[in-house]
Formats: sequence, C-alpha cells, structure tokens
Amino acid sequence: MFNSTSGNNKKRVPDWLNSSLWSSSPPPPPASPSPKSSPNDVVADRGVKSTPATSAKSSVQKAEASKYEPPAPAPPKVAVTAPPAVVVRAEAPKVEAQDLLGSQGRYYSSEDDEEDGARSNVDAVADTASEASAAVTVSSPVSAARPASSAAEDISRQAQLLQELSRKVINMGELRRLASQGIPDGAGIRATVWKLLLGYLPCDRSLWSSELAKKRSQYEHFKEELLMNPSEITRRLEKSSLKNDELDGEDKGFLSRSEITHDEHPLSLGKTSIWNQFFQDTEVIEQIDRDVNRTHPDMNFFSGDSSFAKSNQDSLRNILIVFAKLNPGIRYVQGMNEILAPLFYVFRSDPNEENAVSAEADTFFCFVELLSGFRDHFCQQLDNSVVGIRSTITRLSLLLKEHDEELWRHLEMTTKVNPQFYAFRWITLLLTQEFNFADSLFIWDTLLSDPEGLQETLLRICCAMLIIIRRRLLAGDFTANLKLLQHYPPTNISHLLYVANKLRTHPAG
Amino acid sequence: MASTGLSSSNSSSSSYDLSFKILLIGDSGVGKSSLLVTFISNSVEDLSPTIGVDFKIKLLTVGGKKLKLTIWDTAGQERFRTLTSSYYRGAQGIVLVYDVTRRETFTDLSDIWAKEVELYSTNQDCVKMLVGNKVDKESERVVSKEEGMTLAEELGSLFLECSARTRENVEQCFEELALKIMEVPSLLEEGSAVGKRNILKQKQVHHTSGGGCCS
Repeated sequence: MFNSTSGNNKKRVPDWLNSSLWSSSPPPPPASPSPKSSPNDVVADRGVKSTPATSAKSSVQKAEASKYEPPAPAPPKVAVTAPPAVVVRAEAPKVEAQDLLGSQGRYYSSEDDEEDGARSNVDAVADTASEASAAVTVSSPVSAARPASSAAEDISRQAQLLQELSRKVINMGELRRLASQGIPDGAGIRATVWKLLLGYLPCDRSLWSSELAKKRSQYEHFKEELLMNPSEITRRLEKSSLKNDELDGEDKGFLSRSEITHDEHPLSLGKTSIWNQFFQDTEVIEQIDRDVNRTHPDMNFFSGDSSFAKSNQDSLRNILIVFAKLNPGIRYVQGMNEILAPLFYVFRSDPNEENAVSAEADTFFCFVELLSGFRDHFCQQLDNSVVGIRSTITRLSLLLKEHDEELWRHLEMTTKVNPQFYAFRWITLLLTQEFNFADSLFIWDTLLSDPEGLQETLLRICCAMLIIIRRRLLAGDFTANLKLLQHYPPTNISHLLYVANKLRTHPAG
Repeated sequence: MASTGLSSSNSSSSSYDLSFKILLIGDSGVGKSSLLVTFISNSVEDLSPTIGVDFKIKLLTVGGKKLKLTIWDTAGQERFRTLTSSYYRGAQGIVLVYDVTRRETFTDLSDIWAKEVELYSTNQDCVKMLVGNKVDKESERVVSKEEGMTLAEELGSLFLECSARTRENVEQCFEELALKIMEVPSLLEEGSAVGKRNILKQKQVHHTSGGGCCS
C-alpha cells in the first residue's frame, strides 16, 4: 500500500527494517518473502549492520528537525556517538566523554544561559553531549548519525554482550548495565537479552533448553485449548461421551444418542454455554483482527500481501487471542498490538532458526511478563485508582514539576494542555508510536534493562521528552503544544536517554 | 514528512475569523482517523488504531469566512470511553461515524454514542453530523442510506455518506458541518471570540517578539 510514502515522518521506517533479507535472515519455515534487492553488504556485515540506511535517514530527519527548530539543541550530525546517557554508570570505553561531561557541571545550553541566565534546569544537553562526543568521535562516516553510537562502539559492545551471554551463569547486573546503553542489532543479541531481562530465560544457561522446551510446549497447549472453535469442542465432547457409551452399550448392541447438554446447544441462551462464550469471543477476535491488520502498516514485516507478513500477523493474532482468553479481566485492549509488535519482531528476526521458529511462543510469555508490570493501565475499572493510568500520568506531571517547574506551569496552567492528551499514548504504548520503529527498539533496551524498573524509567524518559523540547513548548500556545506533543519531532535518542538518565538523581540545580 | 508540523505551526499563527472545535466519535475501525487524514492531507493512508486522542488542525474558507477547525479524533474502543468524556468539552460540532458494512457500528451510534453526546456535551446547540463511511465497499453494504437518514432525523443531525478511501464527500462533510455551525448564533459567537483573541494575540506577539515568554 503506501509503505514508503507514508506522510508521517515519526513512523518512518528505515529501509533496513523492511529488508526481507534482514528480517528473516536464516529463511524460516513459514514461507519467507522473495528477497528484495537490498544490498548484501548491509546484511553481510552485522557489525556495521544497518547503519548506512539508518544514518542516512536519521541525518535527514535531523536536518529537517534543525531546519524547523533552530533553537532546539540539535547536535551536529557528525558528532552523535557515544550515548553519554549511560556514561554515568558505564566505565569503559567512554572515559573521555565522561570527563568532559563531568566538567560541564550543569547541563543546559550556553544559548539558554545567554538568554535567560539561570533558568530552571535541564535544557539542551545536546550541546554538551555533542561536544563530548565530538571530542571522541573519529568513527567511520557511515555510522555518523545512528543514535545508538558509532559502529566501532557497537562492535565492542556487541563483543561485551556476547561475552556476558556466554557465561555459565549470567550476571544480570552486568547485562543490564551493558544493555541499557543500547543493544547493537545483529547476531540475535537483542532477542536473547530481552528474554533474559524479562525473566523468560533463567540466568543459568544450562537451564535454557529445558526451560524453552517446557514453555513452548505449554504455549502449544494453550493454543490447542483456546483457539479451538465450539463445534470442535462439542465434537470432542460427543466423542468422549460416545466412548463411554460404547463401553456401556457394548452388550446392549445399540448406539445411544450422543448427549449434548441443553446448555451446550448453539441456540442456548445460558451464560455458561460455550456458544455464548464463543459469540462474546468473536467480538474480541474481530477487534483483534482489525488491529493486527493495521499494525505498522508501513512495515513489510507486519503488513502487505507477502506470506511472511501474513504469517507474522497470524502470530500476533494468536498471541492476543490466547492472552485475551487467559485474562478475562482485561481481554484485549487496543494498543496491546503495538506493544506486542517490537517483541515479536525482535524474536522472529533472531538469526538462530530454532528461536525464530518459536518466536510466537516466546513472545507470548514475554508479553505477559512485560504487561504484568503495568496491566492496570489497560483496565478501565482502575482508571481512577492509584494504580491506574490517570495516576501514572499524574506522576509524570509531578516529575516534570519537580525538574522543570517553569515548563510544567506553562504547559498545564498557561496553555492548559492536559497531560492526558499526549501522555496517555506515550505511557500505555511504551513510546512505540512516538518514534520510528528502530528508535523504539533502542528505547526499549533501556526500558527493559534499567534496574529502577520499567515504569520509573518510562516516566523519566517521558519527562525528558518534554524537557528537551522545552523551548518550543514555552513558545507555544495550546494548539502548537498539543500538536507538537502528539507528533513528537524526530529526536536524537541517545540525547533523550542521556537527559532521562540525568533526571534519575535530583539535579544539583 | 515533517512538513505537516511546519505548515500547521504556520497555520496556527496565521489569521482566521472563526475557530471551531469538532469531535469525531464512533466505534473502533469505522474510519474516523482515515476521514480526518483524508480531509487534512489529501492523502489516503493506512493508519494504526488511535489510542487516546489525536488532534489536528485544518484551515479552510467556508461561506467567505476563514475558519480554523481543531478536530479531535478519539479512540473507538469502549476501554477509552472514561477518558473521552473530557474531549467533548466546548465542542461546537460532533461527527458521529459508522461503517456502512458493519451494522453494529450503526446501532452503537444510537445505543451508545448518542447517549455519550447527551451526557458529556457542554454545548446545548452543538451541531451533530451523522456520517456513513466506506461507501466504496458498496457490495458489502449492510446499512442502507434510508436507514442512515432516518437515524439522522431521530438524532436531529445532518447526514452524509462518504468514503475516506475515494475521498467522496469527505470535504463536504466538514464544510456542511461548519456552515451549519455558523448558522447557530451562540456557536458563531463562541467561534468568533476565539478568532478575535487570536488576532489580538498575534499583534502582541509581533510587539514582543524575541522577549521571554513568562514575564
């Protein structure tokens, strides 16, 4: 359909994500799409991976961004390397960057200083960040603007991660530390790391194969039980009652009629009727179908007529139906498809074929695990409770007030932008709709690995999103601000995460 | 492209005579967002489901007046309804959308959505418009035009059938709604008050350009 011409830039997908070679590297059993003419070298060198495509795109985005937003802290594109975001906790290899940043003391841009002196805090870390990285960057030109980091650094982090993953018992603290800096694409590292972070894989490697086998067969069981239609269930009931009858009736020599209880008749209105249940389920399933069909309509992985896309859609559908049936209190809520998509994409793209084939089962359990932390956001009955979405949005608002009261006052008092209007989607969808897909994965590396937990980390990132565009927000009225926040501008993700990380401890002021 | 953001920031600061708030409601998947995107950007796109609320601006000239429409596009699923209530506040126009190929989306308009409007709309005179979408799928149609007209009469609303995919009647939908709003004195007054404020504010901005914003 309108795959590449989508007018919506925040959802623009880098070409490499759509490369069938990339997304299905070892051809998996469900017929994969005909390989497109994507350059082999991009795929061949996993170390440098996507960077050419991505960097081209994101530097364009950046160029656009800075064009539209002169005052915004858009760092020079050559310089975007090290995620100084995490430097604070990281030791090697970015010592220089750390020093530089450390010596900056506080972190708003010099422009800001000129303009209004000791304004509240956190604007424009980019300037310092880019200074820092400029000092360090001598990396290859191709990787220039990849938010993650330079290719060289990707490779070194990849090596470190691989080393960590090869231990007999994985040190989760170390893994979290490495992963929070962003996980280089390739070699299936992200898939394995996410499974560990979500507690799906145990730390002890020797348990992996048995654990995976157990879970995968359990999921097959769920599917068998839950995706069966009622006539199949009735048929089985008949069968089993027939068996009993055969035993009883052998001597009598006649066949008894199979017993379908009154309750199980399709026209029965009984609440317990499997058919009643079925009709209720149908409504949910239709909703799931509609949403699965429009999940990432701009990505060939999820959308289009290829059998690969179809089989991926089937997997999303199965997972959501099984989840809805196992969780009757929540069932299916729109947006779950969006949260499911990154997990499934990452697991399905694992170069390890065995894992890729079982992506559906693995995704299901990881999805359950991921959702367990904030399932209350999906529950309408809890909207007004302390665990509900409104209360979480209020926490975001308070966090902003704490770190940047001027901005908070302008947004909520002066321009009267109810945070619910933008943060509802940010929070319930874990930022999956605010950035392009590749950037979302990068943000999720941090969300999943931060030891403070997903929710705290998410709120800090949301708060940072507000702060890094504070100048535009402070200049905007209700309309401009709401538009800006609902269509968040292309952003240097490293910078965003850096600012978010700074919000962790109370800024010195 | 980011050009939508650019043109809108331009447009929100350019002048207009009247400003109206329009709300789009209806079941999930009936094509509310598609209608809006077709109307705003002249392009037909596949869209992800709306979560929460989406908000778009359209400047147009109707009946010789320059209008700014701020259009609130809401999520259709029931789960989001507790949150939708706040979007009704101050709306001068409400578009109730159904899908002519799915009867339940039509019955839900009278069973659910019309009641929501009564409950939450703060504007007594608020103009309603009933829209049957997806008429390009004529072979799958299950709700007839006559049924639509009958319901529109019951609800006291305007009525149109349209297709976001072929763009048929999409602009008419918003234009007719705007025209009708302008015929209602109380709504016209609300709309022009915002317009005047806007002009006033622009003058101020020109005077103080470059200055701090929180002085």
